[in-house]
Amino acid sequence: MSDQVEKKRIPVREGFFHMPESAEDEPYLIGSKCRECGYVAWPSRPVCPACVRDDTMEEVALSRRAELVSFSVLYQAPAGFDFSIPYIQATVRLPEGPTLFTMVSGVEARADALKIGQEMEMIVDKLREDEQGNDVVSWKFRPV
Amino acid sequence: MREVAVIGVGMHKAGKFLDKSLKDLGQVAIWNAIHDAKVNPGDIGCAYFGNALGGAITGQHMVRGQVVLRYAGLSGIPIINVETACATGTLAFREAWICVAAGLYDVALAVGVEKLYLADTAKSIRAMATGSDVDYFGDLGFQYMGMYGGNLRRQTGEKGKEGGMGWTQELFAKMAVKGKYNGSLNPYAQYQKRMTVEEVLNSRVVAYPLTLYMCSTMGDGAAAVILCAKEKAHNYSSRPLVTVAAQVTRAAAFVDPRRQPEMDVIDETPSGPTGRDKVAYEAYEIAGIGPEDVDVAEMHDAVAPTELNSYSSLGFCDRGEEKEFFESGRSQITGDIPVNTSGGLAARGHPIGATGLYQIGELVWQLWGEAEPRQVAGRKKQGPKVALASNGGGVVEGGPAAMCATILKR
Repeated sequence: MSDQVEKKRIPVREGFFHMPESAEDEPYLIGSKCRECGYVAWPSRPVCPACVRDDTMEEVALSRRAELVSFSVLYQAPAGFDFSIPYIQATVRLPEGPTLFTMVSGVEARADALKIGQEMEMIVDKLREDEQGNDVVSWKFRPV
Repeated sequence: MREVAVIGVGMHKAGKFLDKSLKDLGQVAIWNAIHDAKVNPGDIGCAYFGNALGGAITGQHMVRGQVVLRYAGLSGIPIINVETACATGTLAFREAWICVAAGLYDVALAVGVEKLYLADTAKSIRAMATGSDVDYFGDLGFQYMGMYGGNLRRQTGEKGKEGGMGWTQELFAKMAVKGKYNGSLNPYAQYQKRMTVEEVLNSRVVAYPLTLYMCSTMGDGAAAVILCAKEKAHNYSSRPLVTVAAQVTRAAAFVDPRRQPEMDVIDETPSGPTGRDKVAYEAYEIAGIGPEDVDVAEMHDAVAPTELNSYSSLGFCDRGEEKEFFESGRSQITGDIPVNTSGGLAARGHPIGATGLYQIGELVWQLWGEAEPRQVAGRKKQGPKVALASNGGGVVEGGPAAMCATILKR
């Protein structure tokens, strides 16, 4: 009896990003925007921190493009991520305002692999596997 | 609110102690402080116990302070557990100070204990990621060292462009060398071996441009401080009176990137566009002083190079002049504004829950004139009179989850 259980793609977090449902479907980050002051938050939250109001935030799809703010090549990893050494952890800034951490894919993990300020684009990619062998996927960014 | 003095300091050396428990570490620091204060343990009215990862590392999720203090012979008093990640020790100090200042008790104990070191470093790294929103940081492969490395990488860029400061990996190594030198003069430091720039640069890369010897690493330790109402301090101490002139602790303020686009968000220092550590400046105002009055300071160098940012954020020099400030020697033990005489987090070590109290303890020794062979002379060469401890904890968007500044005066 072989177990041909279909490998699933599971988002590492619910509600943080849109999981593409087909090859044509594009991924994007999901945030919230205040309809009073326009402040945009990622991840989503119910209270606008600028207005300090709990009745003004609405869900919004965010830009797939971002600016590279900083990055570092890591040669050690937290438990469960040893397979990925070395890897690049970066901070990117979306045009709507939010700044976020991300893993970087599409380049060799080297100190000269990226240039501060360069344009990056969001993808959904495998982060690790869970105990059942499913792919756990996350937002990542790669150079445009 | 009445004035509060420090009457005793006690520490356990920071290091790797697989065979010691939270109880073992805490008991040593507490009793070193009790003996130092010459206080009757029965006089201690209340205790604030700082510990961040006792649950994650040892499984002691609840009643940590009660368990550790009972082992040290203290019970029956209010024992309060406090935590704010790397600022935990300072928070314990703050609460003990408030308790005495408010008049509830005359004598209070603030103790911070941590066990971080496990033979499996990956587990410790994973536990440390809980100093941020776990929804955001947990099990996604992110690590603090990547953040520190990334910020410094940005600062190695051309000065004035994209947050660049024109700093070099070699300059970062020099910061580590300073820390290790100071640590070699501190019997409580985890690292007491002096190093050269070459040795630091040749150590393995952790998160470029950070090499191993630039980073604070896993360590265990404990530090304790005993506070007493100033009017009662003469019952215990004949030393020069060291009092708390200011203690400010704030959760990071919300940062609107639309209004502060130049700010390096997710940065270690809450500097914003003014480049100033707001919490330190609030403390200066309360204490009625300015940065030019500080004789000695301890700051939060999770990695040695971030001390550079503190030179300007704490007001010891202008933004953009940190490198020159350092190279002039002013922040060395022999300089006029020595910073991290203890060795700092990178050399003294960073047992999370204890760090804030290691900082304060070092400053008290400096003010008492008991810090040989790393004793500073003070700006006026009459012994230091004003000390500043800057301690941050955890990370949230826009900066440290908690930021603290404590000013002590002799």
